[in-house]
Amino acid sequence: MIWLALVLLAPLGAALAVFALRRAPAAIALAGAGLGLIGALGLFAGAPGGAAVTAALPFLPDLPIRLLAGPLTATLALVVATVAAMVLVYAAGYMAHDPERVRFFGTMLMFIAAMELLVLSGDWITLLAAWEMIGFASYLLIGFWHTRDGVPGAATRAFLYTRSADLGLYIAAFLLIGVAGTSEISATLATTGTPALIAGLLLLGAATGKSAQVPMQDWLMRAMAGPTPVSALLHSATLVAAGAILLIRTAPMLPGGALLAIGLVGGITTVAAGLMALAASDLKRLLAASTASQYGLMLVALGAGVPVAALLHLIAHAAIKSALFLGAGVFQHDRDSTDLDALAGAGRARPGIFAGFALAALALAGLPPMAAFFSKDAILAAALDSPAAVWLLPLALLGSGLTGAYMARALKVLWSGAADRPTDAVPLMATGMGGLVVLAATLGFGFKPLEAMLGAPLPEPAWIIPAMGLAVGLGGLALGWVLAPTRLLGPLFGPASGGFEIAGGMQALVARPALALAAACERIDQFLIGTVVLGGVAGGARALAAMVEAVETRLLEAVRAIGRINLSLGRFSRRTDRDTIDGAIFGLVDRTIALGARARRLQSGFIHREMALTFAGIALVIGLLLAAPIYF
Amino acid sequence: MPLLTIATFLPILAGLALMVLPDRSARIAHRVSIGATGAVFLITLAIWARGISPDGFAQVEEIAWIRAIGAAYRLGLDGLSLPLVLLTSVLFLLSAIYSARIGERAASYVVLMLMLETAALGTFMALDGLLFYVFFEVSLVGMYFMIAGWGYEDRQRAALMFFLYTLLGSLPLLLAIIGLYLGSGTFDMRAWIDAPPLTGIAAMLALIAMLFTFAVKIPAFPVHTWLPAAHVQAPTAGSVILAGVMLKFGTYGLVRFAYLMTPEAFARAGQVILAFGVVSALYGAFAALAQTDLKKMIAYTSVNHMGYVVMGVAVAALASDPRTRTIGLDGATLQMVSHGLVTGALFFLVGMLQDRAHSRGMADFGGLLGRVPWLGWAFVLSAFASLGLPGLAHFPAEFQIFLATLNGMPWGIVAILAIVVTAALYLRAIAAVFLGEANPKWADMPDLDRREKLVVVPLLILTVLVGIAPGWLIDMIHTTMTRIGG
Repeated sequence: MIWLALVLLAPLGAALAVFALRRAPAAIALAGAGLGLIGALGLFAGAPGGAAVTAALPFLPDLPIRLLAGPLTATLALVVATVAAMVLVYAAGYMAHDPERVRFFGTMLMFIAAMELLVLSGDWITLLAAWEMIGFASYLLIGFWHTRDGVPGAATRAFLYTRSADLGLYIAAFLLIGVAGTSEISATLATTGTPALIAGLLLLGAATGKSAQVPMQDWLMRAMAGPTPVSALLHSATLVAAGAILLIRTAPMLPGGALLAIGLVGGITTVAAGLMALAASDLKRLLAASTASQYGLMLVALGAGVPVAALLHLIAHAAIKSALFLGAGVFQHDRDSTDLDALAGAGRARPGIFAGFALAALALAGLPPMAAFFSKDAILAAALDSPAAVWLLPLALLGSGLTGAYMARALKVLWSGAADRPTDAVPLMATGMGGLVVLAATLGFGFKPLEAMLGAPLPEPAWIIPAMGLAVGLGGLALGWVLAPTRLLGPLFGPASGGFEIAGGMQALVARPALALAAACERIDQFLIGTVVLGGVAGGARALAAMVEAVETRLLEAVRAIGRINLSLGRFSRRTDRDTIDGAIFGLVDRTIALGARARRLQSGFIHREMALTFAGIALVIGLLLAAPIYF
Repeated sequence: MPLLTIATFLPILAGLALMVLPDRSARIAHRVSIGATGAVFLITLAIWARGISPDGFAQVEEIAWIRAIGAAYRLGLDGLSLPLVLLTSVLFLLSAIYSARIGERAASYVVLMLMLETAALGTFMALDGLLFYVFFEVSLVGMYFMIAGWGYEDRQRAALMFFLYTLLGSLPLLLAIIGLYLGSGTFDMRAWIDAPPLTGIAAMLALIAMLFTFAVKIPAFPVHTWLPAAHVQAPTAGSVILAGVMLKFGTYGLVRFAYLMTPEAFARAGQVILAFGVVSALYGAFAALAQTDLKKMIAYTSVNHMGYVVMGVAVAALASDPRTRTIGLDGATLQMVSHGLVTGALFFLVGMLQDRAHSRGMADFGGLLGRVPWLGWAFVLSAFASLGLPGLAHFPAEFQIFLATLNGMPWGIVAILAIVVTAALYLRAIAAVFLGEANPKWADMPDLDRREKLVVVPLLILTVLVGIAPGWLIDMIHTTMTRIGG
């Protein structure tokens, strides 16, 4: 329980402290992330033996916030906390001279807290809330340098893409809660039949948004406008992982139809995004496309019905890809650009960083004995055993081969070229990156115990699997090193570098129709206001004015008539009672006529006079109403 | 102590006192205004502390009035009205603080505001049909003069449109109230709720009359068009009160009158009502997306958010499972409060921007976040609250409404598309006004001063509080809705 609180509250508290104190943001951030990591280690250590740690906090009636730290969620929490800590160490160096450090570290810590909440969520509302909060943090972080050209657009696009896909999660959650009668995730996983299929497909829709799967693949590449530590944490290891995490956690519920769809989406994405990575002209965009491709592989494993394989690859990829991004950030620091042309030789100028980058790259390509070698084999084995092996295995192999090809290309660009520029020491950045490289290289040896802890040991794959995996990995590396992407991709190069936008992409398919619809609504409103309402109001006002005028004229006539009657009465009374009533009546007549004239003046007078009059009127009405008991 | 009566009439009495004061300078007027609304706020806190009752109305204050027709002065509270009463007292206090810089005919302005507060509190707490109608109408007059006297360029026309629209709109309610009276022989709303007096065709006619009145007030498509016009011309505090408090007359009436007093007819018309809610939600979102005037855009998002409220109530009438009914009503009521807090903050912020720049067009700004960080971040937070970000006020309410919709009447869930549209329009507004390269025209724009922070920060705190821990609010709503929906 204390560990659970530490994991969530340490980053949150640090975020509040950063914003409140507005000083030493990096130190506070590191303290917060460090405490969070300790908490995650505590949770993880306690996960194998004891019962899952749970907590419930009041939220809505009958729908409390539930937290759950079992073997799976504790593992994920540890992955997040570890990568977060390393990236923050790196960021302390990377952002050292940015004037907006407070905002940067504060937002990063907020993100970490939200991400931990997501992986530890035990009910759908918490999951959904955390899911949207990380999207918000991502928006703020992509838009961090918000005065720069193109940055607001990139942030807006990322949020809108993912939010559109989030509708799937919303509806799936409503459906599952409705069917199960509770919002507890574990209880809703017993759902079967059509609701399970619909929910599964909706969850897949949500996952495609967050994990940048086809057809939502292109927001991630454009999200690289933020600081590099953001790309390393959010857009490689955590936020984009949310889609895969969602499907891993709901895997027990997913029926065959949903699994097939998941596998196909993943398979297509791993190839399409792999091609995009190969065609990319910018190192960070290459890595972003690679990320989408690797999550495609995880979806293949999920579709094949082996979520543990997906989890292993998720863990391996988190360390590897963050390390690669951090390396890219060092080169960016040197050359003020991530354009591949500008980075030529950047690796040669920093052999240490380049070695780490290369190690991570080879790990991603699946060379033994590094982490992704084991996880990729597990995925290939799963694809081979799957009922949809005909589709999944070739796509997975192609995706693995492409991984080698684009990583070789990146290595070649960084190494070939003159190392002509001097470099400064980057101790913090090197530390953060180094830690992740070590993990990337060694994590694979922890996979067996992890499988045991999760209670889902994977069988030792037949020799054919590692042989195939190694062959496509090495083949891809060789091709990528030798051949230029234009040669390698041939006619596919154009579409791949355009992100495989179908029919003009989201802009043409969604954004423009939505704006056209908005314009149509506006025209309807103009019509309603212009013709119907103003016509009506103007007509009404004219009629009312005419009515008022008529009433007033009559009133005046009435007053005058009363005056005349009074006058004649007066003449009459003058004769009869000259001294008593006379003066009074004449006075009354005069006053009545004057009052009529005054009423006319007031009507056309200023607002405040009308108001005073209205007040008097209201007071009179209220007085009459209050006095009602007397005369009723 | 009759706290309800004191809270209701304290503002208008303070206003009358101000009218007879020899010194009616702006300073004195605003002191009276802040003092009175502050006192009312404290009294409503005391009312809150006294609490509500799980079986019916609490803290009822009753005085015989027109015995012959069964009309009496009756005030009382339940979990539907108490949150709205609290919202009203908070928004009026903050509006009074915000308005303290108004120098033009300040005394009249303050008197109008105080009269509006009396009308609003009376509307929410009245338990007598006739009394309700009186308060309901008095608020109209107050708002008319507020817009006509202190609005912007085209205020006369907007005020007239508002007045005629809502006046004509409210006449059918009077007919419905008379119908309910004829059916029961009393104006006691509790009696109308406990034993709905009308049945069959009479109930349906009364329902249609009420729906017309409340649809104008909510406002729902297609009778929403007075809202953007009125908002654009209204002074800032007027907009806040109009959107934050007076729109809730419509949704409050929808539950208190239409749903509770003609329940059978309401259930029969449920699909139609739901359709109006869904169309309003979607239409309001898309119409807002087309706007380039910030204030008008926020006005249209009110149509969207109030559409969700209508959906929640309609689904509650249609669903067979009492749990779903309760969730729909819980969400609808919470949404009223959330909308008051968030839209109130947004209108204040746009007003503050307009005070500085004398413009509301998005294209006139750019890059303001670096120039006025308080204003900018407050707007970003409020905008994300308005588009339903979890952790902020709208999320729990909209979650409940959509949850009830999918499980009560699944087709209504199409309205959830609107949450993407509202996201798009707010992000676009943020990008245009606050992000990007700084427009040199506003290089010396001042950030929020102390008074302005005092107005906005409480609303932001409440927005976060409702978002992360809605229990303090939703529990009292739930107490009543379990009874109504179950």
